[in-house]
Amino acid sequence: MRRIRSSNNPEIYLKPVFILKGINISDPFVNRLCDGTIFSLEQIEFIIPTVEKLLTKVNDLKFTNSISFEAQMIEKTISFMYTCDVFDLEPVPYVYSGINYSYPILSVNFRQTEEYTVLDILDIAEREGIFESEYFDRVYLCSNCSNGHLTYREVCPKCGSSNSTTEDIVHHFPCGYVGPISDFKNEIDDQLDCPKCDKRVRHIGVDYDKPSVLHECKNCAHKFQDYNVKAKCLNCLTDNGVEVLKGKEIRRYKLTKKGELAAINGFVSTSKDIDEIIGTVKFDTFKTMLKYEIERLRQTEGSSNICAIHITNPSQVYSKIGSEVQKGLLKDLVRVIRSNIRSSDVISFQSSSTIILSMNEIPNRIAKRILEEIINMLKRLMNTAFKNMEVNFETNVMSLDYKLSPELHIQQLTKDFK
Amino acid sequence: MFEEIIDNYVRFLSSLTVDHFIRLFWFFIFFEFVRYFLIEFVVLNLWRLSKYLNRDIYARARDEFFFENPLISVIIPGKNEGKHLYKLINSLNEQTYRNVEIIVIDDGSDDDTVTIGRDLERAGLITLFIRNEIRGGKASAANFGLRFTKGKYIIHMDADCSYDNDAIEKIIIPFYVDKEVGGVGGNVQVRNYDETLVTSLQAIEYYDTISIGRTVTSYLGIYRIISGAFGAFRADVLDQVKGWDIGPGLDGDITVKIRKLGYKIKFEQDAICLTSVPNTLKKLTKQRLRWDKSLIRFRVRKHKDVLFPNQAFKFANFIAFVENITYNLILNFKWYFYLVDMVVNYPSMIVNILITNILLYTFTNFLKFVLYSLYRPRSHTQYSFFLIYIPAMVFYFGYYLRVVRTIAYLQEFFFKLSYKDPWNPEKTSVHAKRLKL
Repeated sequence: MRRIRSSNNPEIYLKPVFILKGINISDPFVNRLCDGTIFSLEQIEFIIPTVEKLLTKVNDLKFTNSISFEAQMIEKTISFMYTCDVFDLEPVPYVYSGINYSYPILSVNFRQTEEYTVLDILDIAEREGIFESEYFDRVYLCSNCSNGHLTYREVCPKCGSSNSTTEDIVHHFPCGYVGPISDFKNEIDDQLDCPKCDKRVRHIGVDYDKPSVLHECKNCAHKFQDYNVKAKCLNCLTDNGVEVLKGKEIRRYKLTKKGELAAINGFVSTSKDIDEIIGTVKFDTFKTMLKYEIERLRQTEGSSNICAIHITNPSQVYSKIGSEVQKGLLKDLVRVIRSNIRSSDVISFQSSSTIILSMNEIPNRIAKRILEEIINMLKRLMNTAFKNMEVNFETNVMSLDYKLSPELHIQQLTKDFK
Repeated sequence: MFEEIIDNYVRFLSSLTVDHFIRLFWFFIFFEFVRYFLIEFVVLNLWRLSKYLNRDIYARARDEFFFENPLISVIIPGKNEGKHLYKLINSLNEQTYRNVEIIVIDDGSDDDTVTIGRDLERAGLITLFIRNEIRGGKASAANFGLRFTKGKYIIHMDADCSYDNDAIEKIIIPFYVDKEVGGVGGNVQVRNYDETLVTSLQAIEYYDTISIGRTVTSYLGIYRIISGAFGAFRADVLDQVKGWDIGPGLDGDITVKIRKLGYKIKFEQDAICLTSVPNTLKKLTKQRLRWDKSLIRFRVRKHKDVLFPNQAFKFANFIAFVENITYNLILNFKWYFYLVDMVVNYPSMIVNILITNILLYTFTNFLKFVLYSLYRPRSHTQYSFFLIYIPAMVFYFGYYLRVVRTIAYLQEFFFKLSYKDPWNPEKTSVHAKRLKL
């Protein structure tokens, strides 16, 4: 289910999916990602109308292949919501979520440790008028890695250890002695005796009371009355002071009219959108050029290829970098590719994670070798420019076949991408 | 009417012989003038001489103190004192002596003291802020703070005071001058001296009874009260006396306890603390009634054993008590005896006697104030500010305080009202009363 819904290809992630199972699925995350549950194959006929309706709605949609990651995620979310006739994007308390709440159709695109990006994306969508929202809850995230899996501990204000003991403080009224209850314990019986005046302490409220408590750190022996509260991140193990935690609002979103139209027409732009990258053509233009190349091959029987380079972990990469760096990264990718191909070859972004390029009039094995070379160079570039970030690529090359349409070529080319 | 009084008075003066003068003003001549002027003056000169002669010892003691550089623990117990803390802490952080830990003890405050205290602790301006959620009284708060101290010397401070930047240094040096010193009292002066007439009069009173009076009693070895506002103690001595007992009057009480163990108590005139005194007569009356009751409670009741020969008998303690009881308790009532004596025996001259008494006291007050300024440390204000208030001191010191003292003594003597003072929580006072503490 995760693999289907986290695909970047609308033909995959919008596919109607039903679960065949003997019992109900209790996982709220999976429940929201599937289109229904059936308990036997005989029930298939009952879901046919639903499937038809879903497919009809999918056919209404247009996609704009934005190369902005955020725009792509928003488009994906709202198109799914539109096809399912769901207009509310509810946060679901989810223990496996990195921020403790999940918006399943959006969160499915992210690893647990990157889920905080979901909140930024929803924020952008709301600013663009795609969603309107209302307050639902507030979460606190690690100041280092933005993870919400925190364990709150009372710690020693001096050494930060959570290993401590607590004792009642006893005030003996007749003599004014104040000290921990252990001062009053004697070695003979269980009674309490005042260490100052040796009188037996008998009756709380009459001859003594317990005005406070005293904690003693077992690590550094510091005695104190007020703990510091710290939140230890279970992801990166940073011990955060509660005052430095990132407070984030969890909001309940509703698709607006503008959002609905954006789902149908393709979500085009956000303020975070990335302008066309120099050296590339728009994906629609690429498809047109591909159509002409296929037509040309039909007449000349030459050998041309299309190739795809796909970043397999885009959510991981883009959640760590801002839109400016994202743009820089894409520019670098294009620069490396452009330096390895002929000027007559064309590069285009199918999405923020998939680059399609043409390599005309060369044998398929040469195209494969060039692509290998490009990937090696890209890996070297990534290792130099983003030392702490792993960027994974997968590639595919296919010879153009004049019997197939441009769409089918691209579908074949990208069908195995994660 | 006025001219008639003047005429009468001139005739009275012109007919006054020496014998007659002594008969009419015996109280002033034999008690007030002798004790509070002549003896004080002589002792002050002896003290000044001894200070000069011992200046090398003092310098060596100071060097020894700074060489040893012991940790000094300052404890500041109080309830609802948060608003005063910043000013106090500011003056403590300016001290010439730096090895100091500051412990603030909140005795069940119901204002924003907790927030202020925790903030100061977090900012590193104080070492520790501890709190009892339930009020237990000043003694319990001080004792609670005491167990967190790590210093060789403990200084008890009041939160509504502030201190000269060499106050800590000055109050500790006497411990190095004489190793038998168990406690040192600081010199308390009035910060709000110019707020009202009442505070100005108290400022003059503090100059006289604390700056001068305690210097004298300290030199004579009969100094008997280390003020709660500013007092330093050896930590081991406080350990021996097991901290403070229930008040009101716990500062005088602990001083006696330390004296009983055989330690010396000293007053350090140059260790200056400024305090805010009550600014209305009503508040002042309430404060003095509380203070004066403790004479009966602690000297006459709790520590009366000092007056009797027993194993722990110390002559200096005996004298300190006798002097205290004589000049505060007995003479207080003897003054009424003098008043009756005059009214009964010289009813026709009572106005003239009254005028003469006022003039005699006023003259002495002027003389003392001006002359003793040579024996006081420098003040935070011009002494000339106070000259205009000196005539009022006769009424303040001679009549008002005397009446308040009388009421306090009677209240405590017959009704033990100090045990009902809300200054101390009732839950502890009932035990103090039952155990005659």
